Amino acid sequence: MLKNIIIAVILIVFAVLFFDLFMLYEARTGLTGIAQYYAQNGAKEVGAANLVTSIVVTYRGFDTLGEVTILFVAASIISFFLKLKENDESKNISSKDTTEILVTASNVLVPVIFLFGIYVFINGHLTPGGGFQGGAIIATGVALMILANPNIKINTQIIHWVESISGVGYVVVGIFGLILAGGFLDNKITGLGEFGALFSAGAIPIIYSFIGLKVGAEISNILNKYQKSQKND
Amino acid sequence: MINTEYFTLGHISLLLGFILIIVGFWGILTQKNIVKIILAFSIADAGINILIVSLGYVIGKTAPIIDGSVVQKAGIDVSDSIVDPVPQALVLTSIVIGFGVTALMLAYAMKLFTAKKTLHINKFNDLKW
Amino acid sequence: MVTPIFIVATALGVGFAIGVLNKFGRNFTGALVLAALSFMTFISFQWFYALTFNNLSEAYVFTGGFKPPFAINLLMGQYESIATLMINLIGFLGAVYLYKSLKERGSDAQVVYLILIMALNVLVMTRDIFNLFVFSEITSVAIAGLILLEKGTRSISAGFKYIIATSVISTIFLIGIVFAYFITGTLNIDDFIGISLSTYKGGTIVVFLIMISAVLELKPFPANGWGIDIYEASEAGFSAIISAATTTASLFVLYKIMAFAGAEWNYYIALIGMITFIGSNLLGLKQDNTRRMLGYSSIGQVGLLITILGFKDILGENAPFIFFGILISHYFAKAGLFWLSGIINASNLKAWSIIRKKPILLFLMGTFIFALIGFPPFPSFFAKWTLVMDLVKTGNIVWVIGILLGSLFEAIYLFRWFGYAIKGDAEKTEEYKIEFHKIIPVWIVALSLYVLGYFIAQYNEFTSVINFIPLAFVALIFAIDFMPVLIKNTIAIIGMIFYFYTIYPQLDNLRLIFEVIFLIGGILALIAGYLHKGKRIGFYPVALLMYAGLTGILEAKTTLEFFYGWELMTAGSYFLIIRGKRSMTHALSYMLFSLAGAYAILTAFGIASVGQSTWSLSIINNIQYIPLWAYSLLIIGFLTKTASIGLHIWLPGAHAEAESDVSPMVSAILLKAGVFGIVLTLIGMGAENNQYSELVYVLGWLGAITALIGNLAAVFQEDAKRLLAYSSIGQLGYIVFGFAMMTHLGWLAAFTYTINHFMYKSILFLTIGAVVLRVKTHNMYEMGGLIKKMPFAFIAVLISIIALSGVPPLSGFAGKWLLYNAVILKGWYLQGAIAFFSGIIAFLYLFKLISSIFLGQLKDNHRNVKEISIWFIIPIYILIVGLMIFAAKPELILQPLGTMISQYFPEGGLNWNGGMATTSIGYWHGTHIMIIVGIMFAILFSWLAFLSRKAQKVKQFNIVYSGERPFTPETTHVSYNIFAGYNKALGFLVLPWITDFWTLTTNIVHDISGFVRRIYSGNGQTYLTHIVLYVVVIYFVFFN
Repeated sequence: MLKNIIIAVILIVFAVLFFDLFMLYEARTGLTGIAQYYAQNGAKEVGAANLVTSIVVTYRGFDTLGEVTILFVAASIISFFLKLKENDESKNISSKDTTEILVTASNVLVPVIFLFGIYVFINGHLTPGGGFQGGAIIATGVALMILANPNIKINTQIIHWVESISGVGYVVVGIFGLILAGGFLDNKITGLGEFGALFSAGAIPIIYSFIGLKVGAEISNILNKYQKSQKND
Repeated sequence: MINTEYFTLGHISLLLGFILIIVGFWGILTQKNIVKIILAFSIADAGINILIVSLGYVIGKTAPIIDGSVVQKAGIDVSDSIVDPVPQALVLTSIVIGFGVTALMLAYAMKLFTAKKTLHINKFNDLKW
Repeated sequence: MVTPIFIVATALGVGFAIGVLNKFGRNFTGALVLAALSFMTFISFQWFYALTFNNLSEAYVFTGGFKPPFAINLLMGQYESIATLMINLIGFLGAVYLYKSLKERGSDAQVVYLILIMALNVLVMTRDIFNLFVFSEITSVAIAGLILLEKGTRSISAGFKYIIATSVISTIFLIGIVFAYFITGTLNIDDFIGISLSTYKGGTIVVFLIMISAVLELKPFPANGWGIDIYEASEAGFSAIISAATTTASLFVLYKIMAFAGAEWNYYIALIGMITFIGSNLLGLKQDNTRRMLGYSSIGQVGLLITILGFKDILGENAPFIFFGILISHYFAKAGLFWLSGIINASNLKAWSIIRKKPILLFLMGTFIFALIGFPPFPSFFAKWTLVMDLVKTGNIVWVIGILLGSLFEAIYLFRWFGYAIKGDAEKTEEYKIEFHKIIPVWIVALSLYVLGYFIAQYNEFTSVINFIPLAFVALIFAIDFMPVLIKNTIAIIGMIFYFYTIYPQLDNLRLIFEVIFLIGGILALIAGYLHKGKRIGFYPVALLMYAGLTGILEAKTTLEFFYGWELMTAGSYFLIIRGKRSMTHALSYMLFSLAGAYAILTAFGIASVGQSTWSLSIINNIQYIPLWAYSLLIIGFLTKTASIGLHIWLPGAHAEAESDVSPMVSAILLKAGVFGIVLTLIGMGAENNQYSELVYVLGWLGAITALIGNLAAVFQEDAKRLLAYSSIGQLGYIVFGFAMMTHLGWLAAFTYTINHFMYKSILFLTIGAVVLRVKTHNMYEMGGLIKKMPFAFIAVLISIIALSGVPPLSGFAGKWLLYNAVILKGWYLQGAIAFFSGIIAFLYLFKLISSIFLGQLKDNHRNVKEISIWFIIPIYILIVGLMIFAAKPELILQPLGTMISQYFPEGGLNWNGGMATTSIGYWHGTHIMIIVGIMFAILFSWLAFLSRKAQKVKQFNIVYSGERPFTPETTHVSYNIFAGYNKALGFLVLPWITDFWTLTTNIVHDISGFVRRIYSGNGQTYLTHIVLYVVVIYFVFFN
């Protein structure tokens, strides 16, 4: 009982705190601060039509590096945490047979999903989306595959290779930025190209591709570990 | 007290965000099943993300992508036409972080269940005082 | 110069690549990780060196090709270089230590570890608040994963509690950050500082949210249950990293946020820190699990560091020195202790006795514990000193009391643990191997503590005056500790003679007296040490440490040097005392009383420095600010060393249980350090000044009562050494009483007693100690008739008890006579009466001592004992010669003493006429008395010899009484319960009231600790409730 009162008090105080914050919110009518700068100069300095991309990959690229790292760390931890013992590897997961609709739909949809994911991250600098979104879409495809066939063997070798190479590639591009251009992760290591074209905005498509592949690989890895951990029971 | 003329889309989504966060906190503090606690975290994460995005709202403006619906020549100042792109970048990161943490928490939940065959949070107090 | 971004790039590059490189094997990937970490350490070191010694200015690192606030930037300034160097160094050493565990878990674990260290670096360097958030998330996830290096359900549930707790904290953090962006339009910390965020509308709430998250990351008390669990549940090597590396980074984060939060937060931060420091250490008292206890200690130390941050504006330019001094000591020592706990693998505190199997580990453990508490020569000593001085100067005495209280709590459990290690039962023979890769990091951090202690002392102009030479000598002896006693003893004695020879011209007469007592007395006591065959490991370094401290006190020209010597002396004597067979609890209470006294002295020095610009010792002569408190604290502090009533309970055990040649060192020599302190204090109070007359009046009463109780308690002892110990308490009571009179004669009497006590107590302890070595028992009723076997011992004891009791012609009479005169002239009749009554009581136990041991009938098991060892006889008889000279020609010593005392008390001295001394009420001639008594004795003795030449010798059992013939010696022994009648009459005075009082205090504190720690119920959700409740409470406190 006392506990409930305390929790109620806590939530009320937070509500009051949030209300204070809410009260100081006024909907804005224009951009100020760094947002204004990005809006005015983003297109010509970075060359990407998608301003959010230019912020994510170039201006605040260091944050993105951190973001990728978090996923990487989470995936690595799950890898060693959920590691199976040798003799469990060969077990089969018993489950109800998956329905035919699911299996058929999966066969049709999975390649499309992969394609769509690749499209999203390649065009990250032009349309909404980017590496993370694309990678997540690819991973959705993998999830669908697992749901359709719980015993599917996913080729972890490929996943590891893709993950490593994209990761190292990302860091190498960043270092090129340091050597060839203005700073770590600067995208002007190649020319900015024509605005709005596929090969524009310097290194951004390259970086986003690396990110997309890496994220896709990592999430697939996590899903794979979840899948295999069912063999433990 | 709250004038509906000034009650914009930004206000509404901000309020929604706050409500979700409070709901999430409530869930974290009261639910006993570990999976429900993790779900509560997801709700709170969703709340925060909505909050972040709504802070970027500028009345009447559109998405920060320089294409057909805004003036499309490179080099032209688009600051009159778009909403704030920075919160959108921040929320991207926040979503990914939330995903990573949730994945980890679920892995923990799996292992905890394997160890003690229960998901009740009160049963996991091995270390104390 | 390598740009700092390579710290990140290297770690990530290597980390990502390892995913495929692991086909080359885990040793390869492990080596890669070590290589990456060493490169990162190199970068930090390069910057640290350039920024500190080459006067390079701080460097900003830009990313993305754009300048802040449009892109994220990092800063590598001087503080950042130190912090990242610390993080990378401990990361590297930790990776060496954890090499096998990480390898076993696989290359994924190795990579996560590398990334954790990298993320901590970014936390320190980044200047963007959202970037800070991202990398703290990386840190949290990485820690949550690495907790799992330790297998088992406990670590899984600890990890889960950790991840949910940090998720809640980061939620709050994120809300604060986005609103900060909303109201300012930027995410750059330097911009926040520039525009002074808290002045914006809504700025205070935003700052509150950000600040409270940074605070919660540091695990403040009591919202830290989740934090304690990870210390307990993780693998020991990883707990070390959490304790050392992540706290450094988190504290730096707090520092950055405080930069823009506004000065109004400083007070709250300091308060939060103080509550954490005291609370966490209080809870540490009841722990019996090693890692959990170390966890409480870690959180406590972090609390102290938070307090220092809160005071950084007040501490001004000393703030970095203080902060880094304590941080470095904590960081190295905690890592070392956690690492040791991983090697020894004893999870229960009492099981640590197995560390004794490899004694060198005991040295390491001692190093770390002493560094944590703040003993010299470690950095924390200098830092704590400066902290106390500066805080008192600015009027924050209450905070000082809080800091010292928390430190005392920490000392209690750490020393109790150390006691278990040194003296606990080592019956459990669980073997442990010292793995090479685990012990190297421990050695590195231990040695670093010593080296850094030296260098940090040089950094600050005030602290660089410390004389490290005696310590160097101690280190030398330590290095040759494997040699036999003969060599070490000789080197030690020669060293001390040489040192005395070089130092004595520099000392004034006052100090010269004490130096003779300390060093010459020490040499004599060391001679007795030749008795030991073998190596006597661990004795010589600590004995010399004590002497180094003692001489340091006398050579001190500043209060810092005095305190430095005082602490060294305490450390050395602690180790000497704990060597006794049953000394574990006595050594602990000795240490705690000594520490409490030392803290009182420290505070008093702080008060004395108010308004002064130097720390010269002369500042105690003229204390401007609350002088009564300062002098009282000084006196209380010194009285703990002289074991005056109320503060005496540690002495009987400590002195009685010590080894035979240690007891004279501690009883005859060490107590005089307290006397010296009292003398200095009284000089400081000023002779003519009557404003402290109440204080000295109280002191006089204390002295008199101590004399009474001490002597009375000695009467009822059956243990010979305890009897002597209580006698010391009583004698020191006389000395304090004499000094308290603040007249020339009083001081003369007190000094005479001091010199005399040194001589006859040394003789007594040496002799009795030697006898105990022969008969193997302390109890007097088990001895008897030893005069036949040990005539030399008998004569020595006889002479010294005559001297102690004050019977003419020996030197004790001089003291008594002077005291009589002084008391009458001063007018303190009642106190004087008590003092003299105690003197009479002294006869009782002195008689018991000599008659029980030497007279009476010889016991069966002692029929074959030999005379006491020649190595004891030598110093004993040297001292006897000294006593006789003093008795025969007292003016040799008393006249120079009188001259010296005249500078403080010009009037009322003795008038000398040849060998005759006169005062206004009487006269005395020492040599004449000796001659007269000698003649009387000779006449009586020869008459007795003449009369008894025809006496019949009777064998031991040839007696009959009450119609019974005795068959065993015990039944004829007069000594057992000899003073039963007196016990009935006066025994109530020596009931252990004071011991009970201290026991009660200890129990209350422990019970509070046991009660409060119940909030850590182990339930993760409860811990979350604590966290948010903490936010609520701080919200109310701050916004009202």
